[in-house]
Amino acid sequence: MRYFLRKLLQLVIVVFAVTFTVSLALGAIPYAEERIIAAKGSGAINEEEKNKLLDSLNLREPTLVQYGYFVGDLVTLDWGVTLNGNQPISTSISDGLGISLRLMIYGQLVALLIAIPAAVFAAYRSGGLFDRFSTTVSFGFISTPNYVLATILGLLFTVRWKLFPAISTDVGFFEAPWDHFRNFFLPTIVLALPLAGAYMRLLRSDLVNTLQSDFITTARAKGVSTPRILFGHALRPSLFSLVTAAAVNVGALVGGSVVVETAFNLNGLGRRTVLGIFASEFRLVQITVVILALVYVITNFLVDILYGFLDPRVRVGRLG
Amino acid sequence: MFSAVGASFLPYVNHSCDQFENENLCTTHVETNPLLAERPPSWALFSETTRPIVGDAPERFGLFGTDTNGYDLFSRTMFGARNSLLIGALSILFGILIGGILGLVAGYMGKRVDKVIDTIMNIFLAFPALLLAIFIVGFFDSSTTTEAKSRSIAPIVIALVILSIPPIARLVRANTIVFAQREFVLAARGLGAKNGRIIVREILPNVMPAMVTFAITGMAILVVAEGALAYLGLSVTAPTPTWGAMIFGGQTKLETAWWISIMPSIILFVTVLAINLLGDALSEKFRIREAIG
Repeated sequence: MRYFLRKLLQLVIVVFAVTFTVSLALGAIPYAEERIIAAKGSGAINEEEKNKLLDSLNLREPTLVQYGYFVGDLVTLDWGVTLNGNQPISTSISDGLGISLRLMIYGQLVALLIAIPAAVFAAYRSGGLFDRFSTTVSFGFISTPNYVLATILGLLFTVRWKLFPAISTDVGFFEAPWDHFRNFFLPTIVLALPLAGAYMRLLRSDLVNTLQSDFITTARAKGVSTPRILFGHALRPSLFSLVTAAAVNVGALVGGSVVVETAFNLNGLGRRTVLGIFASEFRLVQITVVILALVYVITNFLVDILYGFLDPRVRVGRLG
Repeated sequence: MFSAVGASFLPYVNHSCDQFENENLCTTHVETNPLLAERPPSWALFSETTRPIVGDAPERFGLFGTDTNGYDLFSRTMFGARNSLLIGALSILFGILIGGILGLVAGYMGKRVDKVIDTIMNIFLAFPALLLAIFIVGFFDSSTTTEAKSRSIAPIVIALVILSIPPIARLVRANTIVFAQREFVLAARGLGAKNGRIIVREILPNVMPAMVTFAITGMAILVVAEGALAYLGLSVTAPTPTWGAMIFGGQTKLETAWWISIMPSIILFVTVLAINLLGDALSEKFRIREAIG
């Protein structure tokens, strides 16, 4: 319980600090007001509208008041509209979140589907041909920057062989499953391969350790079949670090797939934020960053709690 | 594709000064860079009238062909290494320095100091890494949106340093805690050594292997991160670009001139792979367990 409370306190502090920093960041941007006016189209609006716009951003209020307004708007979902096009910011964010979440889930699933069988086979004959091959390949995947992978796959699959659209569009799965697959295939692969490499290495080394323990020898002596030993006995106790890494990535990938989203022109949350920074859509950026940080912090919090349940030593603090 | 490797060097040497109006510049250049890059990366190979709109293929020119401006891609890639690797090395150097100090202090002092530093690191980690970097780089663009921006490596390095501090601090802290409880530290304290001395003379040498290993892997990550920034349109705008900027620059020409993006991509991949292999070998040597999270 003390462990839980300590983590909860930490969560609250971080959330407060993040919202506070994000709220203040607007005031710290050089020429923030000018940029906002320019984004709105300086010629198009008169002095009165200009003042109204700047008033609505509370830029001239004292710091703490600004923060109060910001949190107030955030909690009451009063997010306003984008400077360009007057689209509600909430719509833009929920659209982006939908794409980013799907990309994250597909990427994780594909990565795990590749990594788990590969790691099991590699660990089963550790030092063998497949082990050496898969370790090398996974090392290659880890060392490939995702924009390099996106460029090369893009060149092969869309430019040369024209199998997939170069620019992915967000087509719903239920409306057009085939188009949905075509549009999300390459981004998913680019996201999944480096992940698969990292996951495979984690699981392989844990599995190799597990396979040396006594209960595996016992199972073998009892005549349990090899697949049963691998998947039934050895896999579960070895999943610890893999599950942790995958869970942490759930939070990190929602905002962290900016490059993949950019490479395939998917308007996910990360890409919208980057474009927002360029287009001086500061309000949109502020809110997205808070949401992304919250997702990240809360998943990490849940991982910590889960960790404490699974391994009591963590709670006592002996593992740091 | 590489059938022209041998021959490609000859035309360089033979009439390498023909293109340059100022012959002094050319000779100095060739003298200082005899092997690697025979052509300055920012000088076009062709005069304005004959310059191709889209670059020349590797089969027809040089090792890597030319880019859309008619610049020699091989030269540019070689010179790009300077920027890319310099940014990576500088960032990790400052990152290790600041993150290392924070980690050592947090791990050794423990208690309240540790809690404060750990919380600050958690706050930094809460922001999506690339977005934080973009924001920091963008922050230093003091011009308003419409002006053309010129950017030096300083803001990029600052952004990458800030990104690298929290993970380094965490790693060093975890290692420091282990050593701070050891008997030789107790012995030093018993002899009356001050905290600063204990940290520097007793703990630091033991934490060093983990730091160095992490620094090497970290440098690979930061070189990639710089590329990602460039890919999003935010990197140095010097005459010699970074690899990331070159890959980004060729994106729209994939259909007609694939080599503009692919060649620097390959070089970047090989570099990152090499750095990672080195880091991996070191961590195996020192038996460092990868810090999770």
